[in-house]
Amino acid sequence: MKINLDDPNLTAFALGELSGPERSAMEEAIASSPEAQQFVAETQQFSRLLKSEYAADLHAPPARSPKIIAMEEQRRLWSPIQWGSLAAVLAIFAVLGGVALTAILRQEGTIAQQSPGKPIGLPKRSFSDAVVETEQSPADQRYASQPATAAPSPEMVLGEERAEFTEAAPAAPPPAEIASVGKTGASRSGLTTSIATRERQEAEPPSRYREDYNTATYDHVSENPFLAAATNPLSTFSIDVDTASYSNIRRFINSGSLPPKDAVRVEEMINYFSYDYREPEGDKPFSIDLDATACPWDASHRLLRIGLKGRDVTNEKRPSSNLVFLLDVSGSMMPAERLPLVKQAMRLLVEKLTEKDRVAIVVYAGGSGLALPSTTGDRKETILRALEELKAGGSTNGAEGIELAYRTAADNFIKGGVNRVILATDGDFNIGVTNQGDLIRLIEEKAKSGVFLSVLGVGTNNLKDSTMQKLADKGNGNYAYLDSVEEARKVLVQQVNATLMTIAKDVKIQVEFNPARVASYRLIGYEKRLLRTEDFNNDKVDAGEIGAGHTVTALYEIVPARSGAADPAASVPPVDPLKYQAPNPAAVASTYLDPKQQSPEIVTVKLRHKKPAGETSELIERSFVDNGLKFENAAPDLKFAAAVAEFGMILRDSPHKGKATIASVIEWATEGKGADTAGYRAGFIELARKAQTLKPREG
Amino acid sequence: MHSVQVEAAKIDGDQMDALLKRFERPLLQYATRILGDSDRARDVVQETFVKLQRENRTELDNAPAKWLFTVCRNNALNICRKEKRMTYLDQELLETRASDQPAPSENIEAKEATGFLLRILGTLPPRQQEVLQLKFQNDLSYQEISEITQLSVSNVGVLIHNALKTLRQRYAQASKDFLPFTPRIVS
Repeated sequence: MKINLDDPNLTAFALGELSGPERSAMEEAIASSPEAQQFVAETQQFSRLLKSEYAADLHAPPARSPKIIAMEEQRRLWSPIQWGSLAAVLAIFAVLGGVALTAILRQEGTIAQQSPGKPIGLPKRSFSDAVVETEQSPADQRYASQPATAAPSPEMVLGEERAEFTEAAPAAPPPAEIASVGKTGASRSGLTTSIATRERQEAEPPSRYREDYNTATYDHVSENPFLAAATNPLSTFSIDVDTASYSNIRRFINSGSLPPKDAVRVEEMINYFSYDYREPEGDKPFSIDLDATACPWDASHRLLRIGLKGRDVTNEKRPSSNLVFLLDVSGSMMPAERLPLVKQAMRLLVEKLTEKDRVAIVVYAGGSGLALPSTTGDRKETILRALEELKAGGSTNGAEGIELAYRTAADNFIKGGVNRVILATDGDFNIGVTNQGDLIRLIEEKAKSGVFLSVLGVGTNNLKDSTMQKLADKGNGNYAYLDSVEEARKVLVQQVNATLMTIAKDVKIQVEFNPARVASYRLIGYEKRLLRTEDFNNDKVDAGEIGAGHTVTALYEIVPARSGAADPAASVPPVDPLKYQAPNPAAVASTYLDPKQQSPEIVTVKLRHKKPAGETSELIERSFVDNGLKFENAAPDLKFAAAVAEFGMILRDSPHKGKATIASVIEWATEGKGADTAGYRAGFIELARKAQTLKPREG
Repeated sequence: MHSVQVEAAKIDGDQMDALLKRFERPLLQYATRILGDSDRARDVVQETFVKLQRENRTELDNAPAKWLFTVCRNNALNICRKEKRMTYLDQELLETRASDQPAPSENIEAKEATGFLLRILGTLPPRQQEVLQLKFQNDLSYQEISEITQLSVSNVGVLIHNALKTLRQRYAQASKDFLPFTPRIVS
């Protein structure tokens, strides 16, 4: 039967107004008509938008002044919250930056699709077209084929194979090809080798995304393989305090689908939660905790945890802040969960400011402009009014807005204070300088001015996750994804010190494995944060920032020496002996153990960091002896971290996920839940339960 | 007829508070859209709740929303009649012509910067605005809307269908060319 799209009953059906035989007849008619299906889906989507707009309208009754409303709304939303860390808000700026270097190298993972039937918003252009060009710049090529030996620049990155990949290659390689990681780079020491072997990215079948109207973009993530401790005794990476991947995954699961594999960054999931590490001693910027337990997904392996905790800063000591909000007000930001959510988040922040602080608002869309010149924090009314007046519409020119925001920040620079641009966007830069490389270079240039960057990602179907992560990383920044007001509260209120105030920058970790105790090891997550061995002692190489009170966690899965286990997933392919030089001394050592190699220690962890305004790094070292703790007896905190890691591996369908299931994830997380005063861990367990009911994505 | 139980059947204070809390704002928005004036709307809503106090409870327990919107609407239309505002009384006009009132959504927009979409809503014919508001702000069914507005269910269906169609087109268009602020470029 031919269905008439102008039949009011079609709308009635979409809105759930039909029942009985009428409904069945309509269902049947729709089943045979793709246009009707699309119409119904669009109607439902639009009606959700309409409902949310009407609901927002209700909260803003006409007869009151915007100021009162804004204040009431804040009270309503935020009163139950503990404001303990309020003062810290200002400090928010400094946190997470620099790590970004390695991230850039990745080619864009393109699952972007122009959706022919997209009902709302502007046509999006994916970034992917721009990427190849960027990555072939001469600066990059310098490092393309072999490790640079002298004066590495901060732009240096690993794994230069990217230029030869065009994204969205029409012919998707079979998954088996993707799994074959870890063969080429063995001549370089350290984990960095794994990057160079990254395989051609997986191209998504277009049809799936057309159905979803999905133009979200994620970079391909290829997991770190197991590396032999004898031949690769050093593992070097930059810390990462981003958390966006977790909230993005949560958004997927809550809306009834599992996330695409490449949206899952395990370290960001683990670091979404804070752990109970020791407070730093004296005036040290942070503490290092090491512990290990049996690996719950493979009992013959060990799980090593490295935990950092940044010193918290009291409210009185909070320095003055100079904040520039850079808000995307383009057409795609219209839905309630985008600009309106951002405004709500910004109100939270403004509430905490005082006369010591300054706020400016820069907006960008078709043009960019200063919506609020830099204003002291006690003039809340002025700031809130400017926020309220913003509306979404037009298309996006991110670059111009970024220029203006940084210029405004520089004009109002507070020496010794927190100077930060807070960018809120769905990342859809579709006019002007859309070449991603240019944008990133722009941000990188701006970061040298001493202004830090926070990126708040919002929105769903066209979230440019990879762009935002790179911007934050290059801009000495952090990246959080706001999927709800609760998340905004976490990032901008409860953890405001960590978000705004950097206490140490360029934090790098180098782990040396003792081949007498460790056969092979694998760093879980941090794929985009790997550094070359020699970068560790090179202060010119940028790395991640840690914020006040922040915890950072890294997990290694370790195959103990002489365990005899022949786990294929954990085995390391053998390397041919060298023809022109003596065998690697480390390899010799592992064969003919000298007394020093028989140390009971399994690892030594070295950490370098700089003061926020410093240029020279300091070194901290710590060794660890594994006492064979069983998983049952592990600290609850460690059990929880293991559960999160395993959940991430299951979502990624990782070859290393072992035998565990979501059911065991829930069990471990429940055992490891601890006090959980803020309820984040309970939320994780809930999320895992939901994921259990969802079907895996195809492909 | 119910005289024996009259006392017991009245709305008590707690129930009144609950109903006020739940419906005062939606009714205000609704009446404002009919009258184009939030002061008169306030009077109308107050009058509605005064009537509510006198109302028999059993009537309400089943469908307080329907009762409140119906009474509120009648009160608002009475004012229209008194003041000879024909807006809501001329059926034909209502369904065809675009709104010329300074749509309440515009007032809202000017003052509170709520959604962009509401501004576009203000350009729809008043009758369409009304059913959309009942449907999407107050989550009422076609059947309930039909009883409140005295339109047939199928008429409600047509109004909503057409309204959504127009709205989606205008929204998509406006998304393309609407620039929400006057940029002050600082060079």
